[in-house]
Amino acid sequence: MTAQAQGISHKKELGSSGLLSWLMTVDHKRIGILYIISAFVFFLFGGTEALLMRLQLAQPNNTFLTPDLYNQIFTMHGTTMIFLVVMPLSAGFGNYIVPIMIGARDMAFPKLNALSYWTFLFGSVFMYSSFLFGGAPNDGWFSYAPLTEKVFSPTHGMDFWIVGILMLGFATTIGSINFIVTIIQLRAPGMTLTKMPVFVWTTFVTSFLAVFSLPSLTTAVLLLLFDRQLGAHFYNVAEGGSALLWQHLFWFFGHPEVYILILPAMGIVSTVVPVFSSKPLLGYPAVVLSSVSIGFLAFVVWAHHMFATGMPETALLFFAADTFLISAPTGVLFFSWLGTMWNSKLRFDTPMLFSLGFVALFLIGGLDGIHLAVVPVDWQLTDSYYVIGHIHYVLFGGAIFGLFSGIYYWFEKITGRSLSEAIGKWHFWFMFIGMNMVFMPMHFLGLAGMPRRIYTYGTGRGWEIWNFIETIGALIIAVSILIFVVNFFVSIFKPATNKEDPWDATTLEWTTSSPPPNYNFAEIPTVRSRRPLWDQKHPDLADWKMDT
Amino acid sequence: MIRKYGVLMGLAILLSACQPSPSFMISTSPIPTHEADLYMEVLIEAAVIFVIITGALIWTLIRYRRKHGDTSLPRQIYGRASWFIIPVLLIVGVDGFDFVLMVKTMQNVRAPAAAASDLNLQIVGHRWWWEFDYPDLGIATANELHVPVGTTVQISLKSVDVIHSFWVPQLSGKTDVIPGQNNTMWLKADQVGEFLGQCAEFCGTEHALMRFKVIVESQEDFDKWVANQQKPAYQPQTEDEKAGYAEVTSACAACHSITPGEMNTDLVGPNLTHLFSRSTFAGGTFDLNEENLGKWLADTQAMKPGNDMEIKILPDKRKQIISYLLNLK
Repeated sequence: MTAQAQGISHKKELGSSGLLSWLMTVDHKRIGILYIISAFVFFLFGGTEALLMRLQLAQPNNTFLTPDLYNQIFTMHGTTMIFLVVMPLSAGFGNYIVPIMIGARDMAFPKLNALSYWTFLFGSVFMYSSFLFGGAPNDGWFSYAPLTEKVFSPTHGMDFWIVGILMLGFATTIGSINFIVTIIQLRAPGMTLTKMPVFVWTTFVTSFLAVFSLPSLTTAVLLLLFDRQLGAHFYNVAEGGSALLWQHLFWFFGHPEVYILILPAMGIVSTVVPVFSSKPLLGYPAVVLSSVSIGFLAFVVWAHHMFATGMPETALLFFAADTFLISAPTGVLFFSWLGTMWNSKLRFDTPMLFSLGFVALFLIGGLDGIHLAVVPVDWQLTDSYYVIGHIHYVLFGGAIFGLFSGIYYWFEKITGRSLSEAIGKWHFWFMFIGMNMVFMPMHFLGLAGMPRRIYTYGTGRGWEIWNFIETIGALIIAVSILIFVVNFFVSIFKPATNKEDPWDATTLEWTTSSPPPNYNFAEIPTVRSRRPLWDQKHPDLADWKMDT
Repeated sequence: MIRKYGVLMGLAILLSACQPSPSFMISTSPIPTHEADLYMEVLIEAAVIFVIITGALIWTLIRYRRKHGDTSLPRQIYGRASWFIIPVLLIVGVDGFDFVLMVKTMQNVRAPAAAASDLNLQIVGHRWWWEFDYPDLGIATANELHVPVGTTVQISLKSVDVIHSFWVPQLSGKTDVIPGQNNTMWLKADQVGEFLGQCAEFCGTEHALMRFKVIVESQEDFDKWVANQQKPAYQPQTEDEKAGYAEVTSACAACHSITPGEMNTDLVGPNLTHLFSRSTFAGGTFDLNEENLGKWLADTQAMKPGNDMEIKILPDKRKQIISYLLNLK
């Protein structure tokens, strides 16, 4: 631009516009958009898989899907939603928003950032290509050994899964290191750790969780690859291997993973709720401390996924007690959100609706989780539909609602256009109602003795009615997603409004244009409090003048 | 006391389909009763928390919504970390309470010390059917477990392939059946009847069709059943039966035994000595009768795709085999 302004003509540089500019970009905003769009496309894949499962289970003894196809589909549904949707969607917001929120011009390592995205995309496409090469992985998203050994899973599906997971793990690890360095090194002058926006904090904690938990997954899948392809016996009991080794290695990653999925969404909710309450987040230090302690606790609860494996009683008690303790930091977040809204002046725009949906649904996911933490009840409910209900209240009601809140909240910042509020509300209510219709009855089915991961069930067990209602609910969710897609296209073809600060927000990303220039800020801002834009708009009531 | 209300509520939910479910909430046997008690205690506690928090949430949303045209700012309250001490202590207190309830229940469902009057069982998980062995009685059967009412049953669990999980909701919670690890569990049924069970750990293609049932009967009926199971296999009489017998003891014998009590841990298929004393086959999936058995032997993969019995038997031979098998009562 400077060159043009000065009237100097330049040959157009390779990759400065068009498709190539997206393929070659190292701009954190463009990489963020690529992440978000890819994740959304995979969300449609994973959602379609969910619908297929629900259609198969709508009636007892249904033959819509073959057993083998059903098993591939539920495996890919879980793997997709976790590794190809929620993680990259969070990474997308992290990429786009975090550098601007901390007043930086880019991530610390822009090229590494591009490497991280393209590795993620390649790993995802690689995994999906298994459908074309003899069948997708079919042993569930946590792929318990020894079922995954070659003798029991002879197709190449598991090999695609293993290599895909290695690539995704690599992408997440370098992405997380990039976040950690960016957040430590590139904060605007004056933004001490205690003045950092809470979404930046949750991204920071999430990144540490990923860096410290992924090695365990990498180890687990590499050993499995050795078993399958090099004739090793790590999980082969007949040759002195251990079947349980996989579960320990996997869940040592798998539980922190749950918080990797939910913490960024919690960060979004903790950003959105105060803005639409026109108040600061209540008890910011407590919220940050809670996020950090959730991070630590995440590493000592892994065996609560294994209560039925015949662990000694002492171990059962230890892991149950640790699991109970997670309720304390999580409770702090609820008190903070409620307290922030108390005595405020609430606006109910769509981002806020999705955040409120998060609060309500995540609460249910937390409370039904207690049942799974108390060991004797878990013996009944583990591996039943109760668990499926629980994880979807946490990861769909929680993570996905939180991320949609983020999409509605930052849409104008990213595109310069706003999503329609009217259509957005239809989207919210369809998704909220559909969600409860699918996942609440799963609790009843779990109580009624229906195990998870069965491609069909018999009559006479009282399971038909709930399964049927769930399928209707799944169709309602599908409609809600269609409504969102309509909303997206309607908005994207509207003329740009480029509102800098449509929600009367308080953090730095709203101080620059929508969308921001590629250098983000003409001048790096100086920060004096947690709400720099609030300070600018209300100099008399500036946060830094208060005793916070 | 709590349980009574809980059961009413649970029944309302579960029986709304007008069919009794295999649910631990609907049982009078000791283990599920304790587990259901604990479930209800935690549910009531969770319901109280839910009502308080959602109540506060909804009240807040209604009370503090911004009036149309109001542009004034609410008071800015920052809050201190210390404000959270009491809520955190409350939560930890509830956690402690739950922990105590849990430990109490764990003591109540802990396996009793082995006694001479116990029935000892070995349960073996196969893809995709259940083998039930009575080592002290010399019985090996499949997919239908007989136990006498009121007797403590001590179970040792074994897998010959992948991880399975043994679950009869109305008699006991799950215990995983793990290759290379001898897990144990126990149960005691206090009521005569049939209770459905199913494998609860994903074990491959036909995980959904790895079902079984537990038949709880009076000591008298159980003894009769035992006496019958201990008898040797039926000797063939007619020409057809003899031809069938020859087949069963040669080709079929690679996977199936017709010697009572032969525990076929190393074989792939169930012991058939008293096949027709059972009411279902192929992992408790199909009703056992001449017609279904015919269909099965005609094309096992069409009925239960992926199972290890990859066999299609021609009609003549099928007729002979079935004529013999029908007598294995």
